[in-house]
Amino acid sequence: MIEVWLSIGLVVTLMALLGSGVWVAVALTGTGILGLAWFSEAPVGTVLVSTFWGGADSWELAALPMFIWMGDILFRSRLPEDMFTGIAPWISRLPGRLMHVNILGCGIFAAVSGSSAATCATIGRMSIPELTKRGYDDRLIIGTLAGSGTLGLLIPPSIILIVYGVAIEESIARLFIAGVLPGVMLISLFMGYVMIWSLLHPDRVPPVDAAIPFGERLYRSRRLIPVVLLIIGVIGSIYSGIASPTAAAAVGVLISLIIASAQGGMSRAVFTDGLMNSMRTSVMIAFILSGAAFLTVAMGFAGIPVKLAAWIGTMGLSQYELLSALTVFFILMGCFLDGISIVVLTTAIILPMVEQAGIDRIWFGIYVVLVVEMSQITPPVGFNLFVIQGLTGRSVVEIARCAAPFFLLMVVAVAILALFPEIATYLPSKMLDS
Amino acid sequence: MRRFLDRLYWLSGVLAGLFMFLIFAVIITQVGLNAIDRIAGLAFGGAIGLSIPSYSDFAGFFLAASSFLGLASTLRHGALIRVSLVIERLPEAARRPVEIWCCAVGAAISGFATYHSVLLLLDAYGYGELSTGIVAIPMWIPQLSLVVGLAVLTIALVDELVAVLRGDDPVYRAETGEL
Repeated sequence: MIEVWLSIGLVVTLMALLGSGVWVAVALTGTGILGLAWFSEAPVGTVLVSTFWGGADSWELAALPMFIWMGDILFRSRLPEDMFTGIAPWISRLPGRLMHVNILGCGIFAAVSGSSAATCATIGRMSIPELTKRGYDDRLIIGTLAGSGTLGLLIPPSIILIVYGVAIEESIARLFIAGVLPGVMLISLFMGYVMIWSLLHPDRVPPVDAAIPFGERLYRSRRLIPVVLLIIGVIGSIYSGIASPTAAAAVGVLISLIIASAQGGMSRAVFTDGLMNSMRTSVMIAFILSGAAFLTVAMGFAGIPVKLAAWIGTMGLSQYELLSALTVFFILMGCFLDGISIVVLTTAIILPMVEQAGIDRIWFGIYVVLVVEMSQITPPVGFNLFVIQGLTGRSVVEIARCAAPFFLLMVVAVAILALFPEIATYLPSKMLDS
Repeated sequence: MRRFLDRLYWLSGVLAGLFMFLIFAVIITQVGLNAIDRIAGLAFGGAIGLSIPSYSDFAGFFLAASSFLGLASTLRHGALIRVSLVIERLPEAARRPVEIWCCAVGAAISGFATYHSVLLLLDAYGYGELSTGIVAIPMWIPQLSLVVGLAVLTIALVDELVAVLRGDDPVYRAETGEL
């Protein structure tokens, strides 16, 4: 009985530390220290530092700073400005026309950046003024941007999938590849919605521009071509097993540096700023991972995840029921916590329960990312909402209302993913190194 | 004193950036050597076996060094994530004790970890522990980054604690978190 109370005490401690504003990594570590001290005879300090060291000294995790840096370089380059002119001529015939720039632009930028907020900011700062100027519907501009920005998390490279993979010691290459088809599915859902909306509201879509010949289209997209090749190269080399994600990331950094220099956007100051900024993002995430790794050890000693799994097991839930319950739980957590914290807490506490229910680890990773994506556009804490607030000056509540249809589309995406798990598991199963 | 501390955080941050660049450098060199090796293999019918010995170990050590040495700089830039939902809504008077609490908890935990990292280092040194790769590195050398990084973080947190106790705003609050 005392153990149950201590377990509850541990969870309450964690929530209290997080809620009082203690840095997430410190809160995880502090809870871990208490847990180890309560539940084990293990030397707390020794376990703490050896977990910290063991988690940080890692070849797989080296992909993290490299992909962050790659996204940052392209974020600072002239690529974002070229996104609009590059994509617009290809989609002017689709119902909804230039509105699809938001979705496709985010999709493309997501494939060089692992962050949702960066994707949203990059595309938003060029698409919002252009689309507004041309008279597109405000609410739909904001909604598509908020929704599509979250693709940064799902489409590889994905920072959050690296975190998940490192935390559960699963192949990052497989997780990346698993995210490709669900990413495409989400893009299709979003584009489909925009098309239907535009057919239903023809009066709110500006008139069509003159058709542009194919050669002219290619010419206008010329600056996007190196980036598209970069994307294909990075994902292709990971998929074919030529390169590990870490090596592919470093090559991606090199090519991004070349692209940025060729466009004339690279200077010493830009280079150092980008490097230091990426370093800090990477440090922040690595620190959270260290804290989470230690908390996982402590939770293991306390046996909380196993007991929780057993308890859930006795309820005899079906997989769908379990997933529905988890989805609601994650969406609630997502209102208060950032995506990375949600993922590390998941792996520390919930994963044994999920595996016991016979759910595939890679599939579950994609599922968690999708649900975390939803949390990016739900108030009060949704990073994409903050980004768009910064870009448009609208209130968070208003932006969240514009984003609501896209939130529902993501719910649909989760349901489709649960009904057809192959969407996530097919490509990884076909990878050459398997 | 102020200048010395700011220099310390700055230097630690620059070293972290440098180590991140070194991760990139070591991997790119390895990829380049690999490519040369493959081409040579096709041309002469046998690979030379060009490679940086233990490159993945080095990448790991550099990552650890970058991750730990950058802690203080990241803290001071306000880039360490925290749940600000509650504290941002607090009135200024109530916010101060909360910041004191955060800094105190942070400093205590970081200090605890620093102390034990020194013990870990002394152990590695005392037992002459080596890395397991082809190039055997005495483990205390890369682990130095753990000790130094945590120590500088502890100093930075105590620094912030003192600032808040004096009634100043903590530095990490002045900077907003980055994307």
